[in-house]
Amino acid sequence: MNLLKAPEGARLALMGNEAIARGLVEAGVSVVSGYPGTPSSEVIATLHEFGAGSEIYVEWAVNERVAFEIAYGASIGGVRAAVTMKAPGASVALDPIVSSAYGGVEGGLMVLVADDPGPHTTQTEQDDRWLGFLAKLPVLSPSSPQEAKDIVVASFDLSEEVKLPVILRTTTRVNHTVGDVVLGPIRRIKRVPQIQKDVPRFVRAGMLWNLERHRWLNNQLSVVEEVFDRVSPVRNSVEGSSRLCVVTEGAAYNYVAEVLREVGGDVRVVKLVLLYPPPKKFLSEALDGCERILVVEELDPYLELVVRYTLSELGRNAAVYGKSSKHVPMEGELSTKIVRKALLSALLTDKASQEASETSGPSQLKIAARPPPMCPGCPHRNMYVALLMGISRAGFRRGEVPVFGDIGCYALGVQPPLEAIWTEHSMGASISMAMGLKVAGYEKPVVAVIGDSTFFHAGIQPLIEAVHKQVDILVVIADNSIVAMTGHQSTPAWSTVESGRKTKPIDIESIVKAVGVNHLEAVDPYDIDSTVKAFERLLRKPGVKVLISKHPCALVEARHRGVEVRYGVVEDRCTGCLACIRVTGCPAIYFDGSKARIDGEDCLGCGLCARFCPYGAIEVVSSG
Amino acid sequence: MGGQGGLTLSRTLAAAAVLEGFSVRTGETLGMSQRFGSVVSYVRIGDRVLSPTFSDGGADFILGLELVETARTLKLLKPGGVVVASDAVKPPVSASLSREFCDKKKLLETIGSAASTVVVVPARRLATGAGNPRAANMVILGAFYTLQNTLSADSIRRAISEVVPSKWLESSLRAFELGVSYLRRA
Ligand code: SF4
Ligand code: SF4
Repeated sequence: MNLLKAPEGARLALMGNEAIARGLVEAGVSVVSGYPGTPSSEVIATLHEFGAGSEIYVEWAVNERVAFEIAYGASIGGVRAAVTMKAPGASVALDPIVSSAYGGVEGGLMVLVADDPGPHTTQTEQDDRWLGFLAKLPVLSPSSPQEAKDIVVASFDLSEEVKLPVILRTTTRVNHTVGDVVLGPIRRIKRVPQIQKDVPRFVRAGMLWNLERHRWLNNQLSVVEEVFDRVSPVRNSVEGSSRLCVVTEGAAYNYVAEVLREVGGDVRVVKLVLLYPPPKKFLSEALDGCERILVVEELDPYLELVVRYTLSELGRNAAVYGKSSKHVPMEGELSTKIVRKALLSALLTDKASQEASETSGPSQLKIAARPPPMCPGCPHRNMYVALLMGISRAGFRRGEVPVFGDIGCYALGVQPPLEAIWTEHSMGASISMAMGLKVAGYEKPVVAVIGDSTFFHAGIQPLIEAVHKQVDILVVIADNSIVAMTGHQSTPAWSTVESGRKTKPIDIESIVKAVGVNHLEAVDPYDIDSTVKAFERLLRKPGVKVLISKHPCALVEARHRGVEVRYGVVEDRCTGCLACIRVTGCPAIYFDGSKARIDGEDCLGCGLCARFCPYGAIEVVSSG
Repeated sequence: MGGQGGLTLSRTLAAAAVLEGFSVRTGETLGMSQRFGSVVSYVRIGDRVLSPTFSDGGADFILGLELVETARTLKLLKPGGVVVASDAVKPPVSASLSREFCDKKKLLETIGSAASTVVVVPARRLATGAGNPRAANMVILGAFYTLQNTLSADSIRRAISEVVPSKWLESSLRAFELGVSYLRRA
């Protein structure tokens, strides 16, 4: 079933991000851009999968700031536009986001920022609700896939009426939750883009204009609550009239509602959808008569500050509990269990006996952890094995050559047995941080490892910096020709992208050459011996060295070409030394109690383990 | 384990529940980078469910696609809960690195001691018989179907056809039926 074309009224099981994609189509969006990042990626992926790319412009961009600027440019041309990103992406795009509040929009502009309490897949638990205060833009927060879809549609109406971009702030438990969703009508909005030349509005070079626009912005913000109430079917809401109150929003609301259903008790539940500007009018009514208020929210005490501030502005007294009183944790995601404890201890003290006693589950076998490894056949594994060998061959100890990692599947090289990278910080930081250590006077070689998509996203400028200042570093571009980690999205090196659009492929090697690095080599890391030699050579050379380690993502290769050969262990020859596992850490190989074995269905035939078995016990067992 | 089809399985359950008129929530761990790592999908079906996850001791059923991971999630099971699991064992790299052997017998004992009913299915073998070794998740779904009375076979079949790409649809439906009949015969 095509969820983007399904009729109004249909009830489907949709993941939050699919519901958001449907919402974009219902809202009549014309331009969608973004950069892949868990948990936001499936919005654009869904638009691609169900063919929206032929009717609207929906493409991945090289990074989040470019994505935002593309959407903003479309929006000041009067068409509806959207942009999607994960939390760190919002930081990458922050400069143009903040400025856009001053110019404002014509066509509605929705900015999806997906935060990740937990965290499940993000480097920090950054709380982007603060973007409201920082960028002075309306922030809306859904609690379920249905609300997400409906709020997306409303965000465009709000955006066009107050002429500001609107931030849709979600969390993993909304983006990646499947829920029942009833579809709405699809609005066909066909607008011919037109741009009005309005210099004071769109040129940020005039300081008096900027001061004037700041006044305009504050004035727009003062009407957001009233417009939001009018255009959004999902409203700020109050259930109950008790003097015991909970204030909550987003995914946290679900836990509150379910716990109250379970334990009973008369509690007023105040649920916010509009998080910025704080809906003062609503809050002053909703909190009227509250004596004890528990604020239940994930990450920072954002609502708690809003509630305390609102109460003090209103000159009201109430006891406020939440993060500062330690009823709700500052870190990690919430659960019904945590929220139950908070509610019982802060508000429903008479029911505290209902607190779930810690059951000591079934007797547990100690079970070995299974953090995500690099896949069988992953070319990054070969690259790291060669790098570590190259370091020794060049006469250095592993422990004295720091390897600065970057963001992508190759960061999984941090796991045993490789334990190859020393840092993973932010997009592109491998090169600049390696440079920083070197300019500080570090004497031994330093290495930066960055993937192809991350290089396009944020690695080119650091490379320019390193070449310009002539710093001795070795940069490895681990090029698997895809954005693998977030689910196989296109990179600028592709000649046809997901929407079907023909594109001009951008060649990494030409970029590196144009920047003027001192030494450039390209290898296929499946040729392990040549790769080791290349590392050995380059580590001994001065200047900026780049090694492009190029081999397609093993999963993509297997899908396109099929698996050409698979390897197996010849039992008689295997001594059980486990060198194969200790060198590669390939998840297709395991210890069967006495010897090594290869799981035939998982092996993708890279041959790396066979190369390192000292007894020649690993051989090709089947072709395909 | 990431990449084994757990996501498709939870999506199919959610779609079937919606077809039956229930409210549904799932909580997933997504991303290519989760392949070969531990993953859990939570599925909640009811008249009005809101939370996408549940705490330890909250699951009526655990559907396992691999025994090490099934054993790892046992703490989620309610006392008296049911486990339906594939007989596949894929030892984690960390176990092999420390020469630790993942003994199937011990895993089954642990699982047996935690659940009131344990059904272990040769899911990969049956799926291969259905023409698609990757449809082991649908075999597990078939076995699960016989142990509950919330979702009808019809809704599940329709859900499979909504969720599974058309290329794999026939073999997935066959795998589902093989899971059903494997349990019926047992
Ligand atoms: S390296 Fe060779 S001999 Fe040693 S465990 Fe592996 S297959 Fe067996
Ligand atoms: S050849 Fe060896 S290292 Fe490569 S995928 Fe197969 S088992 Fe893993």
